[in-house]
Amino acid sequence: MSASTATASASLSDCPRPGRLRRFSQLRAYTQNLSHSSPGHRSRNSLSSRVPWLSPSSSGPESPTQQVGNSTTPGPESDQPALSRYTSAPTASSHGLGVDTQTSSAESSRSTPPNEPVQPSPNVMARLRSASAVQGRPPPTDAPDSTGAIPADAAQVTTVTSKKATIRFFPYQDTFQSSRPSLPFVPIARTLPSESSVIRVGRYSERDGIPIPNPTEPSDAPVGFKSKVVSRKHCEFIYSNGQWHIKDVGSSSGTFLNHMRLSQPNMVSRLYSIKDGDIVQLGIDFRGGEEMIFRCVRIRIECNRSWQQQPNEFNKNTESLIKNLGKGDGADYSGCRECSICLGSVLRPYQCLFMAACAHVWHYKCISRLLHSPDYPMFQCPNCRAFTDLSAEVDDTNDVVENDEGKAPTEATPTNDAAESASGTQPAVTAQATTNGAEEQQPTPLEPHTEEPDFVTDVENLHLQDDNDEASGSGIDMEDGRSSDSQAPSTSHDDLARSATISIPGFQPTQPLNVPAARQPHLRADTPGRSETSDDNPLTPRNDSGPLAFDGRAGMR
Amino acid sequence: MGSQKRIAKELSELVESPPEGIIVELADEANLYKWKVFMEGPEGSPYQGGKFIVNLTLPTEYPFKPPTVSFGTKIYHPNVTNDEKGSMCLGMLRADEWKPSSKIAAVLQFARQLLQEPMPDDAIEGRIAEQYKNDRKRYDEIAKEWTRKWAVSE
Repeated sequence: MSASTATASASLSDCPRPGRLRRFSQLRAYTQNLSHSSPGHRSRNSLSSRVPWLSPSSSGPESPTQQVGNSTTPGPESDQPALSRYTSAPTASSHGLGVDTQTSSAESSRSTPPNEPVQPSPNVMARLRSASAVQGRPPPTDAPDSTGAIPADAAQVTTVTSKKATIRFFPYQDTFQSSRPSLPFVPIARTLPSESSVIRVGRYSERDGIPIPNPTEPSDAPVGFKSKVVSRKHCEFIYSNGQWHIKDVGSSSGTFLNHMRLSQPNMVSRLYSIKDGDIVQLGIDFRGGEEMIFRCVRIRIECNRSWQQQPNEFNKNTESLIKNLGKGDGADYSGCRECSICLGSVLRPYQCLFMAACAHVWHYKCISRLLHSPDYPMFQCPNCRAFTDLSAEVDDTNDVVENDEGKAPTEATPTNDAAESASGTQPAVTAQATTNGAEEQQPTPLEPHTEEPDFVTDVENLHLQDDNDEASGSGIDMEDGRSSDSQAPSTSHDDLARSATISIPGFQPTQPLNVPAARQPHLRADTPGRSETSDDNPLTPRNDSGPLAFDGRAGMR
Repeated sequence: MGSQKRIAKELSELVESPPEGIIVELADEANLYKWKVFMEGPEGSPYQGGKFIVNLTLPTEYPFKPPTVSFGTKIYHPNVTNDEKGSMCLGMLRADEWKPSSKIAAVLQFARQLLQEPMPDDAIEGRIAEQYKNDRKRYDEIAKEWTRKWAVSE
């Protein structure tokens, strides 16, 4: 049992706030507690929520232990210099010990300077650690904190400001006006590091070094295309007053915005404002565009979509509907939408669904045609036309937390208990698995109701483990190994274990961790040898159901 | 064919609660993909009083491909071809504009709206569009005459 897990469970168990609907956020809250030790400041908008990223790494593995004893002082970090912020972070972290969560978060938000942007726009596209606003934070103060110990992730976070302009370029094939395909390229995303930066677009050149199409941090790196019809300095994208603009900077073969040429050859154009969905063409096919190198570039612009990546009415509704899946007959489907492909109702239990990043949901069967299209991995939502790169890395950051409710509801408690028992007392788990096996004769009603917490715990545990790793290195790794060991024996019972868990809600409080434990093996039940896994096999996969869990999450942002 | 369920659903919805001035039936009971639509000329338009037959054809790939709409009744309109086909050009039916989430009801309502307000800038019949823009009176006259001639059944 590691100190950090213990701490987290201790603090969480004191948490007063129940809330079925908050499981996801709670889980994120939970993991944040765990690894970043600042539960009071999870509010997505508050500056202070950034601080926790720094504290664990700098304070080392022992910091969680300290927290236990600490009494709650919600840290008004934002006004303080970095050093005191650093020290106050662990202090603040003893969330739950005696102080209402809401109080602390309220305080933290009060301490937020007024010039703090209220709506950060997480740049999901750039896969940024789109944490809460950092603008109030002078970058130099990060430096002392971040020396050495900070994992790359955390370091990244510190540099990201959430209120940044982001633009994405997608290849566009004008199949109706032009029979020839335009130059193919991977989707490009850019987030401006500052309002004054300009994105230069021109011909790809080896001299510029290897371009990174999708840098994870704000960047105004030039965008290069490998086509002879693109001039070395072709056009520029400029962001000012909340609006993206394009300007031809004297290209020879022209920049076209929605088929309109911006300027005469070799002439600089004025600024033209662009909006989401605009088509920009660079150059004209040369020599019939037979060769790839002579093809023009057609870009579909995506910008100003950040509202879609934040909690809004629509995706919150989707979230609550998905929670409905588990409620069986008692579920309230009144707000249920229809699958826009078959016009049938989505979000009934036992249907495979696909949810896009924009929170639109369809039956997988219905949407699969659009998923496995020639354009794959690009997917365009048939409802709102938002483009998504299906092959993009899963963004599993948890920074964006819904803060409309108190955090860390009581359900976290059982999880932690279980975590303790699972990681600490390995035999107990094995025994439990056996117990599950004994349960096998039970008819399995497979009530969705019980399946939902199941899934949720699943997710929670994934995050838990992830963050453990990140936060306090090797100690946790060991524990990981152990807990996976303990999961292994249950493999042989996986089906039974699973069904048993499902059919006996009473088991929930004591063994949620076993659920995923039983579940992971379940996924690969057909793998021979897995079932014989003995206690010393450390290979039990830790994150098997990860993508499934995260997919949904990412969509609900 | 996965589309049949959706088409059947849309059809029954349209039959049960038809939009204003639009009556829908299958051209052939055995074929879900060919619809016969009776569209009344909207009030205030030169097509008022006329009853136009609109043929709606659904591709087997529906809803991933747009339906096609054509007028079975001759009509004097900038956006409908003046030939036997009577094809109608609807922006939302162009393949790149089409969204699977669009429904046939919306298509038909849009088509009827087009009778009310032709879109001369997006016309098929350039001559009629010219006339619509420059000599509205004459256009109204001819459209009314054609409506009387072809679309009013005694």
